Amino acid sequence: MMDEIILTVAVLGGINAVLSVILVIAERFFANYGECTITINQDKTLKVTGGSSLLSALNSQKIFLPSACGGRGTCAYCKCKITEGAGTVLPTESALLSQQELQDRVRLACQVKVKSDLSIQISEALFQIKEFEAEVVLLKDLTYDIKLLRLHLLRPEEIHFTPGQYIQLQNKPYPKVREIVSRAYSIASPNDETKNIDLMIRLVPEGICTTWVHHHLQEGERVIFTGPMGNFYLREGTGEIIMVAGGSGMAPMVSLLSELARIKSQRKITYFFGAVSKKDLFYVEEMNRFEKEIPHFTFVPALSQPDPDDVWDGERGLITTPLDAYLKKMDTPKAQGYLCGSPGMLNACIKTMNNNGITSDRIFYDPFA
Amino acid sequence: MQTHFGPGRISKDGFLGEDSRHIHDIIQEDQRILSSLGWTSERIADRLQFFIDEGKKGLEGKVSVGKCIVCVRWDRGMVPCPFNEPGLHPKIVATVFSPAQKREIRYSQLSVHLIRRHSFFGGKGSVFRLEPKTVLEITDIRFESNERKSG
Repeated sequence: MMDEIILTVAVLGGINAVLSVILVIAERFFANYGECTITINQDKTLKVTGGSSLLSALNSQKIFLPSACGGRGTCAYCKCKITEGAGTVLPTESALLSQQELQDRVRLACQVKVKSDLSIQISEALFQIKEFEAEVVLLKDLTYDIKLLRLHLLRPEEIHFTPGQYIQLQNKPYPKVREIVSRAYSIASPNDETKNIDLMIRLVPEGICTTWVHHHLQEGERVIFTGPMGNFYLREGTGEIIMVAGGSGMAPMVSLLSELARIKSQRKITYFFGAVSKKDLFYVEEMNRFEKEIPHFTFVPALSQPDPDDVWDGERGLITTPLDAYLKKMDTPKAQGYLCGSPGMLNACIKTMNNNGITSDRIFYDPFA
Repeated sequence: MQTHFGPGRISKDGFLGEDSRHIHDIIQEDQRILSSLGWTSERIADRLQFFIDEGKKGLEGKVSVGKCIVCVRWDRGMVPCPFNEPGLHPKIVATVFSPAQKREIRYSQLSVHLIRRHSFFGGKGSVFRLEPKTVLEITDIRFESNERKSG
């Protein structure tokens, strides 16, 4: 009886081993796509080894499409138009592509495998995205759950960005987490500071990258990020600028305000910042400084639920309350809205702005929600 | 598939905690408990979704919902289902506190999906593990007419 069991285990083990060898050989010969050519914008051509995703193939050639999910097909930032060679749309992509995008042959670069020559179209701005190595020179608490991270650039030594843009920071493995992911964070520093960038990072429950920043990253460590990215920036105009943010949504607003101060903007600017209680409020002194530097700038912080011992004589209620009251008193046809914060806050503020005559085409925010 | 449930894949600590059982065994055991309580996964998911929808209105502040106090936090970004089902779920975390019982439950939008679609309440000791009985005890309010089928 025991002999039969041992024999059966041995036979099954042998079959497994043979199948594994066959799979390895098959992959070597049948999944060998050789060298493939990627033609970009009918202009540039790249030679890559077939078999990897389009996103990885482009990364290997230092062309960085935005991507915040590590190529899992979940963030949908890496959309690009593929005019030739992409094959059929995968089920992992279809949920993230609109009907119009499907018609326009837009695909997720992380889901498209390079098996033959491809022709793709991407924005010229993406060629400006670089990979940076930087040193952490400051890591300090802004609130109990938001940290300021200052990075000094080492390679390349300078970054050129438009205020409002973001970068994608890569975590390093840490206990229990072996995977490297990258997450998008808005730049919080002025764009005339080219050698350092500031980020404001809020600890996300169960977040892989934010936990690394909050509990494992140390000053003096080196990190990798790619950027700059994003289409959130100041638009031309003469009407009032209405900014609304909450939490780490403060970050791009600081960069935008630095720019408005630098150009000595004469536009009227009102910035509503929503917090639950005073412990969620930060950068108030910096905002007071901007009020002195920018001629027509007003900072309006509002607390929705001040703690019993909070001394507070400012606005109270959800951020939409003072925003709505303010918009009702102003002439909004030329006003522009700039938003950054949680998706819930964005949705509520967009609705309030729409109800008060600021149409969606004049409301700007980064869609990395 | 089980690897997607581990730490550092989709979330920092994963979905299994210290539970060494196979996912199917975890599901089977919770299903047995649910049946004994006379509830279904879908009805529990409806109840949990209701608290998320009500809590969202507070924009991260506390909201009174029946006898409970709800706080919903909604961060930017999306997470996939560890069962590899297509679709993404917003990074929403709800805390439902019962002042009378001095107890709370904490769960994510993905938890609601995992319960509704896969009858998966999380491994024992995992961050968003929900004990079916505790969910019913803490969220016991009369809102059935408001229940929604989303999530």
